[in-house]
Amino acid sequence: MPKGAIQPAGSLATWSRGRADWSDRAVAVVVWLTALAVTGVFVWILADVLRHGVSGLSWGFLIDGPRDAGRAGGIGPMIVSTLLVLMVCLAVSAPIGVGTAVWLAEFARGGGLLGRLVRRSLDVLAGVPSIVFGLFGNALFCIYLGMGFSILSGGLTLSCMVLPLLIRSCEAGLRAVPDEYRRAAEALGLSRSAVLWRILLPAATPGLVVGLVLGVGRALGETAALLFTSGYVDRMPGSLMDSGRTLSVHIYDLAMNVPGGQSRAYATAIVLISLLMIVNTLTCHLADRWLHRRITRT
Amino acid sequence: MRYGWGAVLLVVFAGVGTYVFSHGLQADPSVPGDGLRGRLVLTGSSTVAPLAGEIAKRFEQLHPGVRVDVQTGGSSRGIADARRGTADIGMASRALKPKETDLTSHTIALDGISIILHSDNPSVALTDEQIAAIYTGKIAKWNQVGGPDAPITVVNKAEGRSTLELFLHHFKLNNEDIHAGIVIGDNQQGILTVAGDPNAIGYVSIGTASYEVSRGTKIRMMPMKGVEPSLANVRNGTFPLSRPLNLVTHGEVSQVAAAFIAFAQSPQVHDLVEAQYFVPIAR
Repeated sequence: MPKGAIQPAGSLATWSRGRADWSDRAVAVVVWLTALAVTGVFVWILADVLRHGVSGLSWGFLIDGPRDAGRAGGIGPMIVSTLLVLMVCLAVSAPIGVGTAVWLAEFARGGGLLGRLVRRSLDVLAGVPSIVFGLFGNALFCIYLGMGFSILSGGLTLSCMVLPLLIRSCEAGLRAVPDEYRRAAEALGLSRSAVLWRILLPAATPGLVVGLVLGVGRALGETAALLFTSGYVDRMPGSLMDSGRTLSVHIYDLAMNVPGGQSRAYATAIVLISLLMIVNTLTCHLADRWLHRRITRT
Repeated sequence: MRYGWGAVLLVVFAGVGTYVFSHGLQADPSVPGDGLRGRLVLTGSSTVAPLAGEIAKRFEQLHPGVRVDVQTGGSSRGIADARRGTADIGMASRALKPKETDLTSHTIALDGISIILHSDNPSVALTDEQIAAIYTGKIAKWNQVGGPDAPITVVNKAEGRSTLELFLHHFKLNNEDIHAGIVIGDNQQGILTVAGDPNAIGYVSIGTASYEVSRGTKIRMMPMKGVEPSLANVRNGTFPLSRPLNLVTHGEVSQVAAAFIAFAQSPQVHDLVEAQYFVPIAR
């Protein structure tokens, strides 16, 4: 706004301007404080974990297997198990998630009975406690489908848990694409699949990335759903059919079950947090590149 | 840089894959052993699981053809899985009940349960009746048993934990009658809870508690009927509140399972039992 535009309005304007200034400043302070508080909590947790755990970190800790119930040795097998479980989870949930989201946002737009039903059940599923997923996964994958305690069972259970998050945020991303895009594409006579691949999905990538980041976070931090599915075995997994202990299950066991495991639990937590950051950055960059290629190549 | 990140991801997965594959080959039972081969699954008590895991590792070293997978989930789960056949061997941190005659138990170690207080709590000793009254809510303040004027925080174990069953059995209580302020799962959680509340009373494994006391954690172990809670008193049988750590089997046992159970009861694992703060059985 050019300076002096509302200047000649007299004393009332000056007064209300002063009031506006004051309330603007108050809003700014509150917004800053909330943002700082959130960051503060994260920094506090990070500092606490670093303070207790950093002395336990070493190259050997990252590679070796655990000894003496985890009080000595390292977490090599747990890192590998965690990555494998995550890989299974994403490989299964990403395609199913995107597919369902496309159906919800593009094919069941009006909100027919089925669409409403799917949406409602997803919202309920998103709030189900993870231990319920664990017991369900144990009953379905481990026992009924005969996969036993295995990384495969764990990854599949996690994908059931992550799907609602992924679908809902991906759907929101698709819905945020302006209808003009669809109409323009229709006017050009593009096929529905071309519109989907060339325009809608690239434009909805931010929503997809949010869903993936949240999903990865939930998957990496999960213990209850994995204790009864991917299991507790701390050996290096030889295949997806082996049981493997993930990092968060290991942290849980060290903190709750092993006297003297506290410092190792903290060191493992540092590794888990770093892993989360690496995987998230990688996800964002990959999605970014993919998006970029799709749009520029068209 | 067009395919940069894709390439990085491929390299990472390839690396992990190679690592897993090579380790998988190492674990392959192609090494000539004593002919014992197969796979055992153990599930059950979270108290026994770390010990069983260590015993399993040593057993695998001796018999390269055998793989022992130790899972957890609590004694009730161990009993149920052994009965259903989902596990070859169940783990239970309690003796079998009279109605569980279809199962066979094999004791591998002993553990005691100690009442713990915050180390700043001056109440010297509580009788069994007083402890029962505290847990049923009949005594709600520390000054009723010679302590400060403060409410008692009763820390109880969650349903399905054998520590809870042993505690209830010893004090002849029903879990429905207990007025618990906090319900906890594992030993370590019980210790953290009591160490963080000067007015708390709880009960945990003696081995875990002695280790934490030696590290300066702010808890105090209370004598029971005049007997100090110590591993030595559990070993000589004078401590009143102790329990066996059992491996549980159902019906016919495979050759591998029988060999594992015999190994877990042998003096070859006494150092492992002691390293987990339990008492080895005398043989």
